[in-house]
Amino acid sequence: MTKGKRLAGTIIIPVLVLIITNVICMSRGVTMFENSLNWLTFARAVANVSLVTFALSINLNSGRFDFSVGSIALLSSVFSATLAVNHELSPVVMLALSLLFGMLLGLASGLVYVTVKLPPMIVSLAVALFYEGMAYHFTKGHGVSFINNRELLDFASIPNYLIIIAVALIFMIIVFDHTTFGYEYKALQSGQKVSVNIGINEKKNAVICYAIAGLLMGAQGFVSSTTTGSIQMALNFGSIGPMFMAFLPMFIGGYIGRFSNDKLGYLLGAVSTSLISLLYVRLDVNSSVQQVVSALLLVGFLIFLNNENRIKNLFRKH
Amino acid sequence: MKSMKKVLVLMLSLLLVVGMFGCSKDNDGSGKSTDGIDDSTNVKIGVLVADATGAEALAFRSYYENYIQKQYNVTFMYSDELADAAAEASAIDNFIANNCKAIISFASADRPAQIRKCAENKVYYAVATGTLSDEEYKEFKDNEYYVGAIGPDLYTEYLAGYNMAKYYLDQGKTKFAVFGGATPYYVDMHIYRTAGILVALCEAGGGNYNGASDMGSMIGTIYGMNCQLTPAVIGSVELVSYIGGYDFDDAWFGKLAEAANNPSVEVLLAVGSGLDTFAAFKKPNQFLGTVDAYTADAVKAMEAGTLNYLAGKFSASIGPIFMATLSAVQGKPIRTANGEALALSQGYWVATSADEAKNFYAVDSSTTDPAYTRAMLDTLFGASYDDFAKFVGAFSFEEIQNLKK
Repeated sequence: MTKGKRLAGTIIIPVLVLIITNVICMSRGVTMFENSLNWLTFARAVANVSLVTFALSINLNSGRFDFSVGSIALLSSVFSATLAVNHELSPVVMLALSLLFGMLLGLASGLVYVTVKLPPMIVSLAVALFYEGMAYHFTKGHGVSFINNRELLDFASIPNYLIIIAVALIFMIIVFDHTTFGYEYKALQSGQKVSVNIGINEKKNAVICYAIAGLLMGAQGFVSSTTTGSIQMALNFGSIGPMFMAFLPMFIGGYIGRFSNDKLGYLLGAVSTSLISLLYVRLDVNSSVQQVVSALLLVGFLIFLNNENRIKNLFRKH
Repeated sequence: MKSMKKVLVLMLSLLLVVGMFGCSKDNDGSGKSTDGIDDSTNVKIGVLVADATGAEALAFRSYYENYIQKQYNVTFMYSDELADAAAEASAIDNFIANNCKAIISFASADRPAQIRKCAENKVYYAVATGTLSDEEYKEFKDNEYYVGAIGPDLYTEYLAGYNMAKYYLDQGKTKFAVFGGATPYYVDMHIYRTAGILVALCEAGGGNYNGASDMGSMIGTIYGMNCQLTPAVIGSVELVSYIGGYDFDDAWFGKLAEAANNPSVEVLLAVGSGLDTFAAFKKPNQFLGTVDAYTADAVKAMEAGTLNYLAGKFSASIGPIFMATLSAVQGKPIRTANGEALALSQGYWVATSADEAKNFYAVDSSTTDPAYTRAMLDTLFGASYDDFAKFVGAFSFEEIQNLKK
């Protein structure tokens, strides 16, 4: 594949989305990026979506559907925010604690999975309920509020979000593309039986995957909680919601991955969906319409992926 | 010596009897208090909840579990967070299987179905912090197992929004951003509060909102817009931004931030959850008002100037409906002169300063001396409808403090 084709394949979706969203905005007399707040909204969305997408993709690409990612974000941010509020910690320390708790909770989730040997979907549902319950019990149902703590709330800035996005991307590329763990992860993806036979420990690899996913969700929990200064409790799988925002960027990332690095693809997928989110904000689209549009985009993209060759042939004939 | 012994035994017996009467103020030894409440048998009461995590819901639960349950021989069994009518029906089945004699409901997905199911199983049913619609009340008011409903009626909800907006309009504020809470989900309580805000804006601005300017037409207009409201200039005032729903996604956060960051917005009003929505985005020169619960965080926010107006239900407001339910279970139902079920309205406590909020919160969160104590509630056991209604109607903070005295 030529460099030009790879570049085109990498950027075509985000560029198309950027053009289409801008055209829609302009047709309504609205400027998409009118002020710094619009950039902040966009940067926050990219940070949120890319972190969840990275986290979800790690296990999903290995056939492990993980419903517990949202509950890890919830519980890790509950722990870190409580400590930060009670001990007047800085945002950086709160972030570090969120990452630590996220990683430990992910690790625990992974250990449960390899120990009980039940299907990952069932294990992750149980873990999600358990972590939701823990968060509820820990806060006595009240959640955590730090709306009066300006220092923590002021973390929400474009440079901070860009740093988080960049660090997460670099971390993902290094860990999965340039370490022994990453090579083993890919080997297990392409053939588990053969990989195990050549000495790769699939259980250890899975546990590390869960820990890394937890680490990333710790960061997402931090970003989310410092946006509003409060952490609302979720029960009965109420924490699963954030997972769904990662599906479209994951599929887009998978497509872009053919032309470039798949992690970069996930980030560009997050950029694309965040542009759509900003469009909703700028045009004040109500939530029911948003849900319909988002669902149509997801289904439409899946139809495209499943019928790609047919579509290409259609164009070639004409 | 023998007669001395007899005298001593007689004196001791007398002392014991006097002591027993002196120490047990309410109990006559049969398990019944002087007010007639039978404390000898435990009464199980099921509680249906649609929200298990909201500040208001937690405060209500704390009042029942940490105060009422310790004062009376009752056990509250709470349901899980109920999302729909099927979940409500299943929770009622569970309560009945657990020998609950009554159900107090905070869940409203299908109230008629709840009442029918309870009545069929001879279980008393009451609505806490809510009301039935006129049609529903007409259908169930004569049912002996329907105890009644006590809570802010829809007009009170309307007034909560109206008074909140008027508070700022009277100060000369003209540019508003409004968070409509669950209005897009057709939740009447939030629709009426939003309507109240809009009518206050219409009155102050001398204009109308999509042709509506009074309560009736505003409700009609909101429904006509499928509960999806839009910003508008209303005469000399302006609804600069409007956000509804609890999406908690990036677009939702973005809309809240845009609303608060609009340089022309002077006042942010929320019909619910103002602290969890607008507070983090509010600018120092803006004002924030909300209908919410009295919590430690809300008091802190008022002290910090983050929140400036708070209308909240007090947690003990669910005390009278508990007593009406217990009364019914123990054979002394409280009904109107025509034998109909209760349908009484309660209002909000409104704080516009940190000191007020602090006072309200101190009483509201107390598990030893809450707004309605056992001594106060006991007066309602088997009370006449008029006395009961008078008690419930005196809901303001000052009136309750006077009742206590």
